[in-house]
Amino acid sequence: MTDSVLLLLQAAADTTHAYGEFPVIGARQFIWITAEVHLMFAAFVLGVPMFAVVTEAIGIFGGDERYDRLSKEFTRLLLVAYSATAIWGAMLVFGLSTLYPRFWAYLTTIFAPSMWLYAALFFIESFTLYLYYYGWDRWKKGRAKLGHWTLGILLNVWGTIVMFIANSWLTYMMSPPRDITPTTDPTTIKLWHAIANATWMPINVHRVIANVVFGGAIVGAYASYRFLAARTDEERAHYDWMGYVGNFIAMSALIVLPFAGYWLGREIYQYDQSMGITMMGGFMSWLWVIQAFLIAVLFLTGNYYLWIGMGRIPGAERFRPYTKYLLIVLVLGAIVWGTPHTMIADSKELAAMGGSHHPFLGALGVMSAKNTAVNLMILTTFLSFLLYRRANTRPVVPWARTGTIIQGAMFAVAAAVVLFYGIRGYFVEAIVRIGFSVYQVLAVLSCIVFVTVIDILMARGAQSLGAIRWGKMPPRSQYALFILAVTFTWLMGLMGFARSGIRQYWHVWQVMQDTSKYAATPALGYASKMISLCVLIFLSLVAFVFWLGGLAEKSTFVATGDAEKGARHVGH
Amino acid sequence: MWATNAKIVGIVLGTLALYTLIANEIPQVQSEVPQTLTLGANVTPEQLVAAGEKVFTGIGGCPTCHGLGTRAPNLLTDEKGQGPIGARCGKREPGKSCKQYLYESLDQPGAYVVEGYQPIMPVMTKQLSPAQVWSVIAFLESQGGTVDVTASDIPATSSTSTTPPTGGGGGGGGGGGLAGGSTDPKAIIQAAGCLACHKLEGQGQVIAPDLTHVGSRRDAESIRKKILDPASSVAKGYEKLAGIMPKSFGTMMNAQQLEALVQYLAAHK
Repeated sequence: MTDSVLLLLQAAADTTHAYGEFPVIGARQFIWITAEVHLMFAAFVLGVPMFAVVTEAIGIFGGDERYDRLSKEFTRLLLVAYSATAIWGAMLVFGLSTLYPRFWAYLTTIFAPSMWLYAALFFIESFTLYLYYYGWDRWKKGRAKLGHWTLGILLNVWGTIVMFIANSWLTYMMSPPRDITPTTDPTTIKLWHAIANATWMPINVHRVIANVVFGGAIVGAYASYRFLAARTDEERAHYDWMGYVGNFIAMSALIVLPFAGYWLGREIYQYDQSMGITMMGGFMSWLWVIQAFLIAVLFLTGNYYLWIGMGRIPGAERFRPYTKYLLIVLVLGAIVWGTPHTMIADSKELAAMGGSHHPFLGALGVMSAKNTAVNLMILTTFLSFLLYRRANTRPVVPWARTGTIIQGAMFAVAAAVVLFYGIRGYFVEAIVRIGFSVYQVLAVLSCIVFVTVIDILMARGAQSLGAIRWGKMPPRSQYALFILAVTFTWLMGLMGFARSGIRQYWHVWQVMQDTSKYAATPALGYASKMISLCVLIFLSLVAFVFWLGGLAEKSTFVATGDAEKGARHVGH
Repeated sequence: MWATNAKIVGIVLGTLALYTLIANEIPQVQSEVPQTLTLGANVTPEQLVAAGEKVFTGIGGCPTCHGLGTRAPNLLTDEKGQGPIGARCGKREPGKSCKQYLYESLDQPGAYVVEGYQPIMPVMTKQLSPAQVWSVIAFLESQGGTVDVTASDIPATSSTSTTPPTGGGGGGGGGGGLAGGSTDPKAIIQAAGCLACHKLEGQGQVIAPDLTHVGSRRDAESIRKKILDPASSVAKGYEKLAGIMPKSFGTMMNAQQLEALVQYLAAHK
């Protein structure tokens, strides 16, 4: 036994020095709040640059300066948001090192080199941001502009690597490699071995997509606030358009997020079945009912915003009668998706139900039904986008009618494939049924890709039925964008609780046990209060950041006298 | 603009309140740290069944699959007209009692896969302590059958605890360890075999120093160090026995156990 192991054993035994306590709110609550708010700001400063660099590219290659100004407006907000991210990150590190010193010492023993790299990259990332923002007007034309755009890309690259590094620490806590045991000397654990654990890459992918969603939602909320505060029609039109772009990006990325989530879930099951069971059928089972409710709110609110938006598009009245059918599909899908199934219940409850689930509702609660429901909801949302996109145009290509029929057929085939495998799933073994979800997803994604390609080709030279009347939106549409932002943020907190909570009473799953008085994982009710508090803190600070942004510099909005120019852009 | 601001604040707070309210209205299930549960020699069938039900619906996670009718056979309700598990377990394998069948199903789940289901069940004897396993068997027997599990079925070293055997060792303060993870110092001393060399409260051998008044010779820090690294100090008069005490006790106990043992011995003034 090496000296280091002995020292570690001694440290482990000395529980009096393993944990500290934070006044009034307690150690766990302090870590919970600092980690969650730090993560929300981190998602903001990772998601918004993605948004900024894409909109800048549209501005460069599409020749529309409004996108360039939009991009700059958001980069300005990043300056303050970076500081907030760093402050909350520092609070988290100080909290961990003083309140959970034994655990922190263990983690730093393994990950120290990656932590140094993290700090260096954060430094580089910050200076890239300064160059990106302050060089905006200096490098505005020609090759210099391309160089500036490259800075934006680099900003995203640094940020993504920083996130990947931090993800390796938290995924190690979830899924340490199986050869690492409680008696493994942490000094002998190879850094890459610890980083490349089972859930690292699924979390990386999931978070990249989620950050895009989050960035778009926050952009939407910002735009909606500016819309409501606008004093002129032109300003209102600008922020109406910006809110639409934010919502479009958020909803587009949201559509693919569940697929990344499935991958992560599968990896968790493959890594440790008992952890997967805890997550989906154990004490966390009710969490997924709440998640289903939140997703339903997102889908319904996102579609609602689009349907209201069709009111400002000449020609959209053709499609309005269809919205009620879309609403029916969405509501039914949400109900099925939210049907409880595998719940923790005592024997009396089980006996009363005649099993682990309600005899009727149970049939809707299984994955066959839920996968079918969510895929149909995604198809429906895509159809809403498509109708919105085509609302003020009439295709003139000779094959327009054929193209529309093909598009309709693609929707029908995709829905039929989803339904077929959904129903067939009830009659096959579980191992076969799991594979069906792949066919359902492929059918939906193929439909989205091919229908979009056909639509782009069909829109060439299309006859305009009138320009979009940007800014002609009722205030309730903007409040919908707020609900979307709050819901996305709350959902992020909920999923963070799920990811962290499935470790239960382990700091590092089955390697280092939590022996503090906070070892028990709280129920969802308590967690929801903590999540709401974190969301409130975050949104309050973001509002402050927005206010500061407005204080430092006027909006980049410049009246062009052509508020309707956006009619041919994203989504049009 | 103040009215607009107030509306925005109202919508944000209202949305947060709605989600919080819904999350508090649903059943609240907290994931507890596995607690030590005494199943002594006189444990009654009722106590075993009650403990088993907690394991079944709690840390065992059994209802996740058993009861859906799709992943695994129903256990608490009827399965294809054969009744609940307690009523049918004795008829599943010729020559095997209900108790034997259930134990082997938990120990070698692949050996008794019911027709129509996949072999997806994990080896529960690796996930649960013997006490937990036997209490679950008692609970399953109670579902339409007769409980014949007794304390004698449960191995002595684990009969005082239902803490799972995972983890262990002091490296990370793991959750398993000696005596099924029990923090009862006497159980730890018994399981570690300390009395094979040491004497304590009139019991044990006198090969190594008598521990009855060890607290008057060593403080807690010294005792802890001695357990973790026996070679760190040698009691006067026992120099010839230096190196005999095993060095593995630190890795056999979790942090809570080690601390409980240290405090217990330090109190022996």
